[in-house]
Amino acid sequence: MFAIIDNLLPGGAAGASSGGGGGGSIMIVCVAIVGQQNNPLYLQSFTGADEALKFHYIVHCSLDVFDEKVSNPKKAGANLNDTFLGLLYPTEDYKVFGYLTNTKIKFILVTSDQDLREIDLRNFFSQFHGAYVDAASNPFHVPGKRIISPAFADRVSTIVKSFGSTPQP
Amino acid sequence: MAGGREVAESCVDAVIAEMVATYCKRLHPSKPELAARRVEAIGYQVGMQLAERYTKDRPRFADHLEVIKFICKDFWAEVFKKQIDNLKTNHRGVFVLQDNRFRWLTRLSIDSPANPSDSSPTSSAKVAQAAGPYLYYPCGLIRGALTNLGVPCAVSAEVSTLPACSFIVRIKA
Repeated sequence: MFAIIDNLLPGGAAGASSGGGGGGSIMIVCVAIVGQQNNPLYLQSFTGADEALKFHYIVHCSLDVFDEKVSNPKKAGANLNDTFLGLLYPTEDYKVFGYLTNTKIKFILVTSDQDLREIDLRNFFSQFHGAYVDAASNPFHVPGKRIISPAFADRVSTIVKSFGSTPQP
Repeated sequence: MAGGREVAESCVDAVIAEMVATYCKRLHPSKPELAARRVEAIGYQVGMQLAERYTKDRPRFADHLEVIKFICKDFWAEVFKKQIDNLKTNHRGVFVLQDNRFRWLTRLSIDSPANPSDSSPTSSAKVAQAAGPYLYYPCGLIRGALTNLGVPCAVSAEVSTLPACSFIVRIKA
């Protein structure tokens, strides 16, 4: 159900990672969008190395957690229908966060940072969703197919670069 | 859409009228059903995109009724600057959305009958026939939005007096 697609926009990945992470360390290592039928729509890694396969694996694993969070409302507590789902699961090196829209599109963020503020994450997902909405509204985009627009890739790397720059409340 | 680029309403009216004319009269004059499907499919895709946009900053919907209410209130307000006037349901998956002044029919008129006191049945049939092709697109719009929000359905439209219009939504079990 989650077919591996080969290296997405390799040029974009190298460019984004070299300039990314203004503070020195790169915080976001991968972002992904997964469609209604768990079909991959977009995956972009921001570590210099070619690790798309590893991130496909991490993203794939997170899909079950999405289902669990939605079908097990007790755990979710008060914010039952919130789009932001919080931490999905930690791996040895990374933390995986998720966001599920009304239209059952899943947004996934993989980060190497251990100390994150929720407002930064919410802000990031909101901007990421906005970028997706604009990309999906492109009449040349076929619904359910991978997003190949370079303008979208540029916008996502800008959002990733500005991650964590939300002013303190 | 605060801060978004805007387009004149008359342009939208003209595009929709021209789209109907192109498909129904020029491309498929002998196949009205095919023309209807084509126009409906355009509305379907636009509806999907609009649903994604207009639900961006709201929590996820709990059930089908909430989605229908969203269409009647927020979606209609975004697209037509008013809400649906009347929502009816048989509680078994059929919803009737009635708009007493459907914006995309307000610029539409039919040839006035020679005798103004003409019998009403023929004139209402005439209205339905004239307005029908212009309702494929909004039907597709509603179906696209509902489908994308997880409510698979079929949508048809009825019109008896301009510019009032009813959309009948049948949810697929």
